[in-house]
Amino acid sequence: MTLPILPTHQLGLVLAVLIGFAFGFVLERAGFGRAPKLAAQFYGTDMTVFKVMFSAIVTAMLGLVLASTMGLADFKAVADSAASATFLVPMVAGGFLLGAGFIISGYCPGTSFVATASGKLDGLYTVLGVIVGQVVWAELEWRPGFASFHNAGNFGNYYLWDLFHLPARTGPVVMALAVTAMAVACFFGAEKLEKVLARRASPVAMATPARRPGRLIFAGFAAVPLVALAGLAIPSGSRAQARGAATIAQVDLARRLFDEPWKVRVLDLRSFEVCSGKRIPGAECVPADKLSTLGLAEASSSLDLVLVGEGDLSELPAPASAYPGRVFALQGGWKGWEAFALTPPAPLAAGASAAEIELYQLRAGIRSAMTGMKTAPPPPPPAAAPGAPRKGGAGCSG
Amino acid sequence: MKPNPNKFWNPYLAGVALGLVLLSGFLIMGSGLGASGASLRFGVAGLDLVARAHVARTPPLARAMESEHISWLVFEILGVLLGGFVAAYTSGRLGREILKGPRIGTTARVALALSGGLLMGVAAKMARGCTSGQALSGGALLSVGSWAFMFSVFGGGYALAWFLRRQWL
Repeated sequence: MTLPILPTHQLGLVLAVLIGFAFGFVLERAGFGRAPKLAAQFYGTDMTVFKVMFSAIVTAMLGLVLASTMGLADFKAVADSAASATFLVPMVAGGFLLGAGFIISGYCPGTSFVATASGKLDGLYTVLGVIVGQVVWAELEWRPGFASFHNAGNFGNYYLWDLFHLPARTGPVVMALAVTAMAVACFFGAEKLEKVLARRASPVAMATPARRPGRLIFAGFAAVPLVALAGLAIPSGSRAQARGAATIAQVDLARRLFDEPWKVRVLDLRSFEVCSGKRIPGAECVPADKLSTLGLAEASSSLDLVLVGEGDLSELPAPASAYPGRVFALQGGWKGWEAFALTPPAPLAAGASAAEIELYQLRAGIRSAMTGMKTAPPPPPPAAAPGAPRKGGAGCSG
Repeated sequence: MKPNPNKFWNPYLAGVALGLVLLSGFLIMGSGLGASGASLRFGVAGLDLVARAHVARTPPLARAMESEHISWLVFEILGVLLGGFVAAYTSGRLGREILKGPRIGTTARVALALSGGLLMGVAAKMARGCTSGQALSGGALLSVGSWAFMFSVFGGGYALAWFLRRQWL
């Protein structure tokens, strides 16, 4: 996985201006800086809003699916970072309100900026209204009486492939195919509707004609998911091997156990007796031969899997490599962990570098936290159901 | 050649172009496009000038001042303004005017633009994003909430369209 690139904050801000420039330029050229053209969407005379929006969704979706199939990016990882969690109740209510505001003002929040930039004063007034409205709801959303509504229907990161119970690996591709098919069917419907209503349209709100390029794009939309499907058809064994046994250093695992234990699932592959005695906090005791009973291939990929052997794991066991999310083997296995986290770090000589001192403090802290737990808790139920705690309230601010 | 202000891009080509911009956001920044987040920051920055203590003790406002993603969106919107300006200038659509249907006065149009904006501001904060951040970006990422939001937006628009026909037709 090499994408997303995630540049530094400063470089990101420069790129923000460039990406925004392209965004604004395209919106203006599509006609989205003009309220009558946008509003015509809701009178059926000009379906440009619908066509542009769904072509854009399909393009970006297929592009990301393709990048995932080629192993450049991970659809779900990008979605988890870029999409907000689903809060169904306020999102449906907000959708209706925003639709109402759209037909009242003639713009949506993004296009009102484009209208403002092209000198349209109605756009400027919409921008001012949006600013005030945002602050008003931000004032209210957390107060008693509003908060329960604002956070109602929290499904966490919830995707269409979850809704249709598709596995996390193939789900995005199958859903992308379905969405593309639906979009293309709707495009044909939109063209028909515009023709029927064309006589009623005023000259400002005439549909922009689409003939040959439209058909080429339809064909392109059809081709991409087929390529992605073909990519998925590559035997999963070779994909798993290509992924190899990525390792995680003890210090990184310790950090993750402290900072975000809900994002890792630690599986201890040693024998049940040894594991019950001493293990990494939060680890599940799953002897290697029992691993296939966990159903990892069908599990949600939201957690990173960390496998702990006696020593280094030479290769990932087959059931673990079928896991759709990320899988790591702990460096040095249990022995390495014991030496790292449960034995005191060697005292530092005078004149140690800042990095050495930091590592020493970190190790000392980890050790005291880990060994503070004198007796191991009772063994967990073997092969516990993979409960994926949901990340809540990641506010996307679109 | 003089540009024709009534000529727009083919909607499907414009859509593909917009999709590629969105895809570049995903693949470079790990985030989608947005607009209303920047509006929030503008509003909170204004409020911060007159009532700093109030902003600091109101969590959603304080978060908006600190969020790195929102500062990214502010710069993105600066780009949108630039891009919109250049596109309007080169297409002959740049000009100070108020766009409206033939049957409505200027004052009424301005009042509707302002109140529609107000409504959308509330709505976009409630929905964790507007048509750009929630419907477009989240829709492309197949988020259930984004699709529910998108259908609701069209539902709300069509539900009220008949009552507002005097403004547009």
